[in-house]
Amino acid sequence: MDLLAMRESYQQQRVMLCFNGPISRSLIEEIGNALRNYLDSEQAALSSSMDVFAIYIEMTQNIRHYSRRRQYGERDATAIVAVGRDDAGRYTVSAGNLVEADDGRELAKMIEEIGELDKTELKQAYKRQLRQPRDTNSTRGAGLGLLDMARKSSLPLQARLQPLPNGQAFFSLTATV
Amino acid sequence: MIVTTAMNSDIQISGTQSTPTVRGDWGTGCLTMQGDSYPENAFELFDQIIRWIGVFLEQNRLPLRLELHLVYLNTSSVKAMMDIFDLLEGAHRQGRQVSVDWRYHAENERIAELAEEFREDCTFPFAIEPKQATS
Repeated sequence: MDLLAMRESYQQQRVMLCFNGPISRSLIEEIGNALRNYLDSEQAALSSSMDVFAIYIEMTQNIRHYSRRRQYGERDATAIVAVGRDDAGRYTVSAGNLVEADDGRELAKMIEEIGELDKTELKQAYKRQLRQPRDTNSTRGAGLGLLDMARKSSLPLQARLQPLPNGQAFFSLTATV
Repeated sequence: MIVTTAMNSDIQISGTQSTPTVRGDWGTGCLTMQGDSYPENAFELFDQIIRWIGVFLEQNRLPLRLELHLVYLNTSSVKAMMDIFDLLEGAHRQGRQVSVDWRYHAENERIAELAEEFREDCTFPFAIEPKQATS
């Protein structure tokens, strides 16, 4: 295994923290802890560090809910999560996971729609979504988390859907604080 | 998670890294929640709190006061808290005395903003007060 190449790739992409593999409830908490400590040690402003943490939680929990809903086994219920900085020094939070191609397209469309909203519209959409009945059985269930991430981001959320030969797709999402 | 709850009694839930410590005192009508709240499914935790509040409002004549020292809430917890505030709002409109006192560390603007958004939908007394940072 070429760990040096991985390390260099992380450094080049300014990744501070990265995880790839099956993502459990306790792992989300542990990585979240590490992330908080890291941000503390960097003396990030408390509001930025809260935003990064919140986006990380919503992203990873959305992936967990999705994997459960699709009853993915160990192999498909994995995720890659990375926290880093962009060229302007802003924090970025990214997560990627396998999805069914149709779900991926629906998600990408939702994110595109969210990207067109200004701050006031985002708040209205968030409050409207909060009042929707509890629903864990639809892709729309991810909506509240996505709206929350969008509200905590300084740039529109960026989604990318890369089709795979087996009919699934790899969905990646980046938020910039 | 240790939970004790029964009709006409106190509720006690010990906190974890991702769930708040909860104490509801039947004798004084004070419910406190303290810590972070970001479980994957907040309703597993909040349903019993919502139930306790429901029973309190139905059977106890004392005013109900929520004292909140919540630091961070994921969207699942925000949705559950909204149900609690809706319950309080309903009781208030029927003439019950209910109030919320949300205390936050002065430098944590994010939680103050969240509390403020909750307050927008409430007509009962809802205080949001900074406390001096000690931790």
